[in-house]
Amino acid sequence: MHKTSHSFALGTSVALILAYLIFPIIVVVGISFNATTALRFPPNGWSLRWYEQLFSSSEWTGSFLISLQVGTLTMILSVLIGVPAAFALSRYKPPGRKLINALLLSALIAPPVVRALSTYLFYVPLGLNNTIIGLAIAHSVGGIPFVVINTVAGLRSFDTTLERAAIIHGAHPFIAVITITLKVIFPSIMVGAIFAFMQSLQELLISIFVLGTLGSPLAVKMWEGVRVGVDPTIAAASSMLVVLAAVVFGIVALAKLATDARGSARAGAGE
Amino acid sequence: MTVQEIDQRIRSRLVIKYNPRSFIVFLLLFPACAWMAFFYITPIAMLVYNSLAEDGLSILSKTVANPVYRSVFATTLEIGAASTLGCLLLGYPVAYALTVSRGALRGILLIIVGLPYWLDYVVRSFSWMVLLGQRGLINNFLLYIGVIDKPIQIMYTFLSVCIGMVQILLPIMILTLFAAMLRIDRRLMTAAAIHGAPPWKAFRTVFFPLSLPGVYAASLLVFISSLGFYITSALLGSPKESMISQSITLLAATLLKWSDASALSLVLLAITMAIVIVYDRVFSIDDLWGGKDA
Repeated sequence: MHKTSHSFALGTSVALILAYLIFPIIVVVGISFNATTALRFPPNGWSLRWYEQLFSSSEWTGSFLISLQVGTLTMILSVLIGVPAAFALSRYKPPGRKLINALLLSALIAPPVVRALSTYLFYVPLGLNNTIIGLAIAHSVGGIPFVVINTVAGLRSFDTTLERAAIIHGAHPFIAVITITLKVIFPSIMVGAIFAFMQSLQELLISIFVLGTLGSPLAVKMWEGVRVGVDPTIAAASSMLVVLAAVVFGIVALAKLATDARGSARAGAGE
Repeated sequence: MTVQEIDQRIRSRLVIKYNPRSFIVFLLLFPACAWMAFFYITPIAMLVYNSLAEDGLSILSKTVANPVYRSVFATTLEIGAASTLGCLLLGYPVAYALTVSRGALRGILLIIVGLPYWLDYVVRSFSWMVLLGQRGLINNFLLYIGVIDKPIQIMYTFLSVCIGMVQILLPIMILTLFAAMLRIDRRLMTAAAIHGAPPWKAFRTVFFPLSLPGVYAASLLVFISSLGFYITSALLGSPKESMISQSITLLAATLLKWSDASALSLVLLAITMAIVIVYDRVFSIDDLWGGKDA
């Protein structure tokens, strides 16, 4: 009796807290289907007009294209640089490992405005301001830690006997890593890559400073939109992003689940 | 010493020094270290150097002495502390529920906790603007149940900024606490129960003290992140709730006062670094990466 009342209190408070956590998502999706311009929740009528407006506006599609370019480049840079580092950190325990960990972690929590200001001033003589690649490079600093964290986690659960078996059977160690290890930990790398992409998509201050005149990525466009006035198109745009992210993440989660299941099945068979 | 001897010496040294393993480690780590050093550390180092080289520490003391900037820093620390406390109060029960749950329930809880991450920060603040406004859902609800007889001001206050910030920072708090709580040996709770402790007492005297290191670690992480917030306070707060990132952006992008902006950035950076160093001394940064074996 005593115990159930405790669990009930815990369950209720957790449910309320989680409701608070996901409430903004429900509100934004609701507003995006609203029939009128007024930002009302719950909406007073349903329509798809904001989605039509989103897809027919060249400004929005242009912003979407810029974000896609910057995000994809960020993702590629983060994976190419982060995955080798994750291998070194997790397999070889190099000296100075603590310093590298601190460096990567600090990139995640460094005040964005400090990074924005310093990157802008640094880019002036390099001519990287107002370039897509410049912004992607700046975003990759925040993306690499995500790739490293997730790849290290993937490597930790990876069964190295698979790789050794390939080498014993004559594969060059490098080929064994490419064809066996990378293939098995691919979902972990993908999770890191998606986080790298998402942080690029949502980053605002560096985008404002670095990409001044070239155009606005989605985050900047939404920011300007919210400041100027009420426009449910913003809600439609971000609902699209949520759905997109959820779909991609769902696929990756399933892939990861499948690999984990295979891994544990193998571990079970070995016992 | 003949030339051959010298040659021999150099060769033997090379043999000792050259280790294919460390060469591979170097090759793997070099891109990441060089990249971060060049595009992350160098810009910040140059910002620090330039603002100190111009007029030494006087620009810093001038900045710290300026009452406007001081009050902005005070506001930033206040909002950060209040949001951290809010995150802790709301995050602890969820992290605990995650720890005691298992299987599918834990999976669903984790998905819900992770879900808000995919929603843009601007849009999250935007949704609170809709909810907390004079004719928003909250005011309408309070009017309906009769707690108030005219709409109350929630938007553009300290409270609305904290509501927005806690919502954004809560997942970090929950996941960091959860990772720490998973490392607590729960058999200790069973032992306490066997020896007659009621659940609440077992929790209070066994589990809670053991979870405190995680509480400190997660709170510091959330507090550090909160100091750099920009969007939430700009959209949900009044000028009174202006945070330091807003001042820096205003000085640099609108007023073009680069040296003041740099000096303020320096102070913000110094505060952040100081907290990170204390954090590392007390808890070790490695712990955040899943323990020593990471």
